[in-house]
Amino acid sequence: MAKTYDYLFKLLLIGDSGVGKTCILFRFSEDAFNTTFISTIGIDFKIRTIELDNKKIKLQIWDTAGQERFRTITTAYYRGAMGIMLVYDITQEKSFENIKNWIRNIEENASADVEKMLLGNKCELTDKRQVSKERGEQLAIEYGIKFMETSAKASINVEEAFLTLASDIKAKTEKRMEANNPPKGGHQLKPMDSRTKDSWLSRCSLL
Amino acid sequence: MDFQNRNNTANKFVCPSDRQLALRAKLKAGWSSSKSSEPLRPEEQEAIISVIRRNEEIEVAERLRVGRLVERVEKIKQHAVERGPNCCRLCGDTFGLLRGHRIICEDCRQAVCTKCSLDINIRYHTSEKSREIWLCRICSETREMWKKSGAWFFKGLPKYDIPRSASATPTPTPCIGGTMAGDTRAVQSCHGTPTRPARIKKLTIRVNDSSSSSSHSEPEDEVDGGPAGASASNGSASGTGGISKSGSTTGGRLQRDDSFRLRAYGSIRSFIDGGERKLSNSFFFGRQQSHRPSECPDYDSVSMSSKLRRESSFLRRGSVSSSWSISDSSGSGNSGNSHTTQSQSQSQAQSTTQSQSQSQPYHQQQQQHCRDPLLGWLEIAISYREAFHSLDCTMVRARDLPAMDAAGLTDPYCKLNIITPEAHTKYTRWQRTKTVHKTRNPEFNETLQFVGVEPEELGNSLLYVALFDDDKYGHDFLGAAKVCLSTVHSTTQYRISVPLGAEDQYSNAAEMSQNWPNGKMLLSLCYNTKRRALVVNVKQCINLMPMDNNGSSDPFVKIQLKPDAHKNKKHKTSVKWRTLNPIYNEEFYFEASPHDLNKEMLILTVWDKDLGKSNDFLGSLQLGAQSKGDRLQQWLDCIRLPDHFHEKWHCLAPDNPAH
Repeated sequence: MAKTYDYLFKLLLIGDSGVGKTCILFRFSEDAFNTTFISTIGIDFKIRTIELDNKKIKLQIWDTAGQERFRTITTAYYRGAMGIMLVYDITQEKSFENIKNWIRNIEENASADVEKMLLGNKCELTDKRQVSKERGEQLAIEYGIKFMETSAKASINVEEAFLTLASDIKAKTEKRMEANNPPKGGHQLKPMDSRTKDSWLSRCSLL
Repeated sequence: MDFQNRNNTANKFVCPSDRQLALRAKLKAGWSSSKSSEPLRPEEQEAIISVIRRNEEIEVAERLRVGRLVERVEKIKQHAVERGPNCCRLCGDTFGLLRGHRIICEDCRQAVCTKCSLDINIRYHTSEKSREIWLCRICSETREMWKKSGAWFFKGLPKYDIPRSASATPTPTPCIGGTMAGDTRAVQSCHGTPTRPARIKKLTIRVNDSSSSSSHSEPEDEVDGGPAGASASNGSASGTGGISKSGSTTGGRLQRDDSFRLRAYGSIRSFIDGGERKLSNSFFFGRQQSHRPSECPDYDSVSMSSKLRRESSFLRRGSVSSSWSISDSSGSGNSGNSHTTQSQSQSQAQSTTQSQSQSQPYHQQQQQHCRDPLLGWLEIAISYREAFHSLDCTMVRARDLPAMDAAGLTDPYCKLNIITPEAHTKYTRWQRTKTVHKTRNPEFNETLQFVGVEPEELGNSLLYVALFDDDKYGHDFLGAAKVCLSTVHSTTQYRISVPLGAEDQYSNAAEMSQNWPNGKMLLSLCYNTKRRALVVNVKQCINLMPMDNNGSSDPFVKIQLKPDAHKNKKHKTSVKWRTLNPIYNEEFYFEASPHDLNKEMLILTVWDKDLGKSNDFLGSLQLGAQSKGDRLQQWLDCIRLPDHFHEKWHCLAPDNPAH
């Protein structure tokens, strides 16, 4: 309870049923793996606190059910998410093709500012591979998002993927706040003249 | 898949009947609608609700954390001194050569000293150049708060609770409802409001005992929580009562709420800043209060905790309105006003037991009110004529305006405009009353008419009145007031006495709307005690009049002290060729004793240098003990605080004092 943190980032995992979203999350939060397949009911989330640039970041990662019948529940959580992981299974062509639909889903339901990332899971199953790494990269470039091939079972890139997404969100925070739109209350009316006047004044006082 | 399902709904493998098809056509969901309407099994519902509850715990912790961030910023704001433009906004130190530098904060554009500010490097991602900007502690903390709370992402502060231990008085017991933590019940009341049918008709009240401890957060927030909160209630609603197609509607509603919260936050921010005080507050509260009465019947079915909250909000309204001294000219038959008196009496009855539950902003507002030097009062009478769509605003009188000249008098006039909910001014031309000369308690008795004000607009617009001091060399700001127009009715005249507040962006806009065709001059004055002389530094002029055929001028400034006891000579700056914004930065010395300065007048005239014919006059400025407002201020500062430069912008007047 007393755990303090500087930021709370809400992340979301989406993708077809059975691509391994829950396993990725399980690997990241508990560093463990479970071979039995249990379909997620609606929604679930896990918490893990990480540290980036001496800032404690609490990640609340929402795991969603890939099944169609829970769609109304899961889409309700899109808007609150600051980062979304799109997961597909490299051994299932169909799950890769569906990424386009998931992206459309994000565009419809999530905030415009949301950070996205593409993950090709189960990359340890090289003999069953149906989707090449290049195709994954190509799709990621097409949508202008980052891409990684992960394996929850062999613990490849899972940690890295979440850290990358978190640091991207954090970088966005800084960029957003320090660009020229400071946190103003509702009103933005400002006479142009006073700005030039003040900048001149401040320069002069340094002379 | 599940066999229970078949008993309840039609078998999805059988073609639906005509009636079902007709119904689905109305839903516009197509054939596939049967797939998504498959209800959740009880164990699934339970699993989802348990996740929502777990989330609720995290939300509570998060709300407290954001609350602490908000509190931290507000504490710093409370400790700010705000003594004036020549003092640091935070610690109150005066600026000068030996003391701290004056630094203009990038965000609030107010002056602070080096101790109370910090510089941050900004790197633009497009160009790799980094720029250094200065922020005062308030603004840098506000930025931190926006970053850390996630407000940057949601475009507004998320819902938050001020930590209970930190507030002086504990909030009343939050668990009256007796429900388990995180139990969310969505109660929908679909009553149109009797007074204003144009208002939002559908209202979702989230009964949540964990949020009832948040006596601070706006009731509007409780109506529809933050993004995750709303989605949680949405989730539980669909969990218990079958899945509804609500994803897209939630989105729309949330966006609206976010923008509202942003505005509400803005108002809180600005009245803590000393900008708007109570008026803005009541403006934003006014929106939800007006649909309170319609809710009342529903509250019986809702748990006690929400009742408690309602009372606290009644109370807040009561206290705000009572401190406003509203006098209604023909009181009865007016539902809005009877409601006010009712809430007032309620507030009195409850005040002993419920005073703790008053919102934090109100406390601050009260403190702010005590601390701020009052800029006077303005009495306004407003009436609306529905037939003509015209709003008649009568400026009756003002009292206790700030003194502007040495004799302690003022020449006030009012400028009026209407502010739309989008925070813009409705009319580009500001309406202006006549000037009442030489008084601090002017009787204006002047009616100004705004035409083309729709009845729907009244509910969420503000009347903005800014008072200025009329002077030849610039109109100085006296005070500003905002009046919420939602209380204005077509039948009665609405009379109100409002306190005047400090400058804000609208008064700046009003000031900007005055045209000064002769331009402005930046002048720096200093009394040098070693040389016993007044140092006049003519820094620059802007927006001078073009006098030559080429569309520009060749300006120079003549400076003269009158009556000159020490027989100083007149001075002239150099001529800056072909420019309307000359930068001189030239210093001139006028020998004078400080005592003499009290009787003397500095006369500056700007001229266009013409070769072969007489110079053209461009503008003039007079400064001295007989000046008013800003000019008097600068003159007196210069005498009171010698050996420091005092810099100010002045408007140039079109008449030549030599004639």
